Parts: sequence; structure tokens; C-alpha cells
Amino acid sequence: MTDIFISQEKKPKEEMKENSPVEKEVKEMMGQTLPKKEFKSLIASYLRNPKGVDFEIKDKQEKIELLLRQHPITNLRWIILGTIMIFAPIVLKQFPIFDFLPSNYRFIVYLGWYLITGSFILENFLTWYFNVYIITDERIIDVDFYNLIYKDISQADADKIQDVNYQMGGVVRTIFNYGDVFIQTAAEKPNFEFLAVPKPDKVVKVLQDLIQEEKQEAIEGRIR
Amino acid sequence: MGQILFPNTMIWGVAKIFVLFGMAIYVVFGFVVVRQVKLMTDTLQLGFEGFIRLLSYVHLLFTIAVFIFALIIL
Repeated sequence: MTDIFISQEKKPKEEMKENSPVEKEVKEMMGQTLPKKEFKSLIASYLRNPKGVDFEIKDKQEKIELLLRQHPITNLRWIILGTIMIFAPIVLKQFPIFDFLPSNYRFIVYLGWYLITGSFILENFLTWYFNVYIITDERIIDVDFYNLIYKDISQADADKIQDVNYQMGGVVRTIFNYGDVFIQTAAEKPNFEFLAVPKPDKVVKVLQDLIQEEKQEAIEGRIR
Repeated sequence: MGQILFPNTMIWGVAKIFVLFGMAIYVVFGFVVVRQVKLMTDTLQLGFEGFIRLLSYVHLLFTIAVFIFALIIL
């Protein structure tokens, strides 16, 4: 009897072993499947087949293959600057710079400073978070937000992609595995640049697969 | 020290107007950020729209609170 129980326990373990490489790959490529998935997907910059992602010009049948944004390490500059700005008043308190001001004005100066700091951090986060590159099964889309209320959405159909290459150079880029992907198209916008995206080699592979698929569809006459 | 450097209380009155003007502009900026976030979340739905919108509203409330606070204590 006990042997039966052992074999029953082993079976799911074997299944898990079989699935584990897939799980690993999925975990590696999709931030949202990891533990604490919500936070991870909030800051993830390489999302393969993301769920719950949509954009205003998306077709109903269209499937998002890859969602990219700049590698989180590119945010380091403003994060450091923001941290310095947060602690600056505490450090500056040691020096009597604002002592000529009455206490109520001094208080407002500090509040104003933290207001500016908060805006600085928020603006930089929003700029990073919403400037995304999307690869769907039909096209590539570059979403850019400039300044405060100006947006630029460029797109090119997959069958218009002519050439794809990537550049990765420098110590930081090599350590954190991110680089620039350049896409030449026959669309209205001839050049797409996916700057500082993680795993550029895999991005290029996804794009090549997409081009191949489009060619195959064209041969078979399955064009949407 | 402040009284020696700025004997005229008019100076602080003018300073108050400048500070309040700056804060009022910042409140407008707070509204622009809310509008910007709406534009962004309408364009892209990435799964955290609620949280991002909350951040923009907190920012706006903070700007309004600082403006009102400055109006009261200055």
C-alpha cells in the first residue's frame, strides 16, 4: 500500500521537473509570474506575452508578443538625484542658509522643496513607465510621451520591417544586459529605435520570428 | 536679525504675494500632471492605472494643501 502512495507522490514531482525549465524560462522572461508579481510587473522592462496590457490603437484580434521599456538601471540617475533632494534639507539644516527668513517662511520653503522633489520623482517615473515599445503579432509600436501633454505613437506593420540589428556596448550595458535595437522599415517612419531595452538579442529574435511568420502568412495567403 | 535686514514689513507682504503666486502656478502644474496621467493611462493600459492615478491625485492634493497652508501661515 505504501508503495502506491510513494508512486503517486513521485508522479507530480516528475511533472514538476518536466515543467521546471519552462517555468524557469517564463520566470526569467515574464516579471509577472514571479512571486510578488504585481510589484515585479510594475517595474519590469521586458514582458513576454503580457496579460492585462492594452493600448488605444490595438485591434481586437491583435496579440501582444513583447512589451519593452528602458532597463530599470537607466533610472539610477534620477533616483540618486531624488534621494539627494529628499535629504538635502536635513543636511542644509546644519548650515544657517535660511536663518534670515522668519520661521513660517522657512517652513514653507521646506514644504515647497519637498513638493518640487515629489514632482521631480513622479515626472521621471511616469516618463519611464509610459515610454514603451510594443511588439505584437502584426506590428511594432513605439509610444513616446514628451514634456507634459505631447505624445507620439509610431507604428510599422511587421511585413514592412526590412532590417533588424542591435548594439550593446560599455561596461554597464554588458553587466545589466541591455542595449539598443534598431529597426529599419519601409513604413512611413523608416527607423525605429528601441533604446536601452533589456535582452536586445532576444528582442531581435522575437522580431525575426515575427518577420518569418509574416512571410509565411504571405506565402500561404493568410494575410489579415 | 531679520528685523535689522528687513525693517519694512512691506517686504514680507511682497514676498508673501510672490510665494502664493508661485504656489498657485504649482497647483496648475498639479492639475496638468493629473491630465497628463489621464492621457497616458487612456493611451496605455498596463495594469496599474489606479495606482498611477492615485499618485497624481496625491500630488495634486499636496500642491493644494501647501498653497492653502502658505495662505494661512504667511
